[in-house]
Amino acid sequence: MLRAALLAVCLLAVAPAAAQDDSDLSRIPGAVENAPPASASPPTHGKYFVEDALGVFSYRGTFAVAYPYGVPSRWANRTSFDMLDQWKLATDLTATFSDRLSATFADGVQFPDDVLRNDPREAYLTWEPLPQAYLEAGRINVRNGVAFGYNPTDFFRTRTTVSQSSADPGALRENRLGTMMVRAERIFDGGTIDVVYAPKLHTPAPLGAPANPLDPKFDQTNGADRFLAAFSFELEEFSPQLLVYHDSGRTKFGLNASHPIGNSIIAYLTWAGGVAPNEIADAIAFGKRTATLPASIPVLPPTSTARAFRNDVSAGAYWTGEDKITVSLEYNYHQAGFSKRDWRNWFAVGADPASASELWFIRGYASDQQDPMSQHQAFARVDWSEPFQIEHFDVNGFVMTSLEDGSCLAQFAAGYDISDAWSVGAYVGGSTGGRSSEWGSLRNAASATIQLVRYF
Amino acid sequence: MRNPLVGLGLAALIFGAGAWGQSLSAQDILAGMDKVRNPGQAFRLNNALTEYIRGEARNRVTLVVYARENKQTHQFDNVVRYIDPPRDSGKMVLMNGSNMWFYDPSSKASVRISPQQRLMGQASDGDVVTANLNKDYTARLVGEEKLLDADRQNRDTWHLDLKAATDEAVYSRVEFWIEKGTFRPVKGKFYSDSGRLLKIAYYHKFEEQLGGIRPTETIIIDAVDENLVTTMDNSDMRAQEIPDSWFQRDFLPRLKAD
Repeated sequence: MLRAALLAVCLLAVAPAAAQDDSDLSRIPGAVENAPPASASPPTHGKYFVEDALGVFSYRGTFAVAYPYGVPSRWANRTSFDMLDQWKLATDLTATFSDRLSATFADGVQFPDDVLRNDPREAYLTWEPLPQAYLEAGRINVRNGVAFGYNPTDFFRTRTTVSQSSADPGALRENRLGTMMVRAERIFDGGTIDVVYAPKLHTPAPLGAPANPLDPKFDQTNGADRFLAAFSFELEEFSPQLLVYHDSGRTKFGLNASHPIGNSIIAYLTWAGGVAPNEIADAIAFGKRTATLPASIPVLPPTSTARAFRNDVSAGAYWTGEDKITVSLEYNYHQAGFSKRDWRNWFAVGADPASASELWFIRGYASDQQDPMSQHQAFARVDWSEPFQIEHFDVNGFVMTSLEDGSCLAQFAAGYDISDAWSVGAYVGGSTGGRSSEWGSLRNAASATIQLVRYF
Repeated sequence: MRNPLVGLGLAALIFGAGAWGQSLSAQDILAGMDKVRNPGQAFRLNNALTEYIRGEARNRVTLVVYARENKQTHQFDNVVRYIDPPRDSGKMVLMNGSNMWFYDPSSKASVRISPQQRLMGQASDGDVVTANLNKDYTARLVGEEKLLDADRQNRDTWHLDLKAATDEAVYSRVEFWIEKGTFRPVKGKFYSDSGRLLKIAYYHKFEEQLGGIRPTETIIIDAVDENLVTTMDNSDMRAQEIPDSWFQRDFLPRLKAD
């Protein structure tokens, strides 16, 4: 009896039921039926666009350490032509070129030197003599590291900044100069070996040195002989990468790893370490080497100039929710950076205006190296794709906080894709903190920029 | 034939008899549908996504998808390359189990993405890639139902309820209506982890592709944003030898446009 009942239930379960609710069919637009068939072979192409960005800036008027430079323009308009393309020259030979040509107008700028700037980001040839074996030569942007706020293993980041609208560290990495190098890479099943040699082609340019608009800036990117070897492999979904980097007699070691946690979180760690002086001693030595600072100048603020093994760490995680919100939190440790005591000394020594140039030089040097100024820093970022179901609209914001004094650099950005060809964006940013804090001591207080982009 | 269940599904497909369906398990039916959707060899295809907002075509995204069944997991590994729109040209996505990366040629950076990030976008990366659902989901036969397809033709279908069985499953729950006899997918409903209905898909325009009759268009109705419908059109599906080394993050910058 029980068996018969079960059989009946089973038969009922598979018997044809009433038709499903098909009301969702009415939502299919008639235009779908009339749509042209998809292209059989879509043509591939590079990325070409023109971008115009108009920004206004506000500045602080009083400083704990006097600014040795004049007040810059309170507005600027930059128009850039940007391109990235690749051409197949032969079966196993390709050429890549990436460039940004900008014209910036603002109060007090002189044409053409202050107005025009060409940034040849990449120009290189790739030869694949064997499957998945590559030899490359030219200006190449090699980027390593899995972090967002500070990437200590991104060894070729130094002196590569290109003019742009966003202060986001991610945007800085997206748009920067490559380095002249030869590179060999072998990708095999389960791993990759990468070897890079970047030769010294020029004596290093001093910080802020005026450049001809068409200067390729090899004196920034190739001021020293550098060597990098990297090995990536798969290990329990950690995707580790081990690196060895050598620059001007200093060797650094590095590690990158990331791992998914559950369905929504990616955790990551990046570490670099090597024997080096601290940021102050390094900056002053560079200033003397490039004759920006007199050879006899004392190291200020007072610090040890001894070399020691120093660590750099970025550890963080990002979480993505069902509402297309991604939240990233990251901690940055830069052992060579300023401790609380270094900051106290910096502001104390800076009370004497005669020392101001040297003190600001140190901060300019750290910025040029894309190093954090403080030893401890936190980076938080939120990305929200299509908030409130507004299609093609994205907002994001980040806050970089000095854990030495609580001062912050923050930016809010919004972008809207008007069509396949046009995008508009806005950036509002600023820094907060007391006059004697990392970010509050800077001249730039706030900025607002609107940007229009036309893609081709 | 590695999997006897797939063999059963294929047999049912060949003989096309409703009587076979009575003896098939839900998992057999799902495996049969996988065979209709996915070729049994490595391949590449073009994928054109057209977005309709309030009935008007607004944006079009063109992708090339390279897929190959992983010999160990029997799941498909995928590499997706963006061709259009121009702002996204050259971007790539790698999906190799739960090892997923996004590459942007502008930054030369590969960023790891979480399973949840596969669901970003109306037709997400999780939708455009090829997957053997039979490997990722546990299926339950809800019943047999008559259903209108996208051409408003009546179809006799099996109604399956799928629950994610692995971390690699894109959605935590999916409902499928599969035509009896042919194993063709007619309709699908896709749910988030919290049980919210995200999308409704209709499978459309069945044509010969790489040795099988497969749906070449998927119409995706957004269940959250009622103004939004996206069509996903596959074309130029071709067999292609794809080595293992393609399915790792360091290969993404090396993938040449074909």
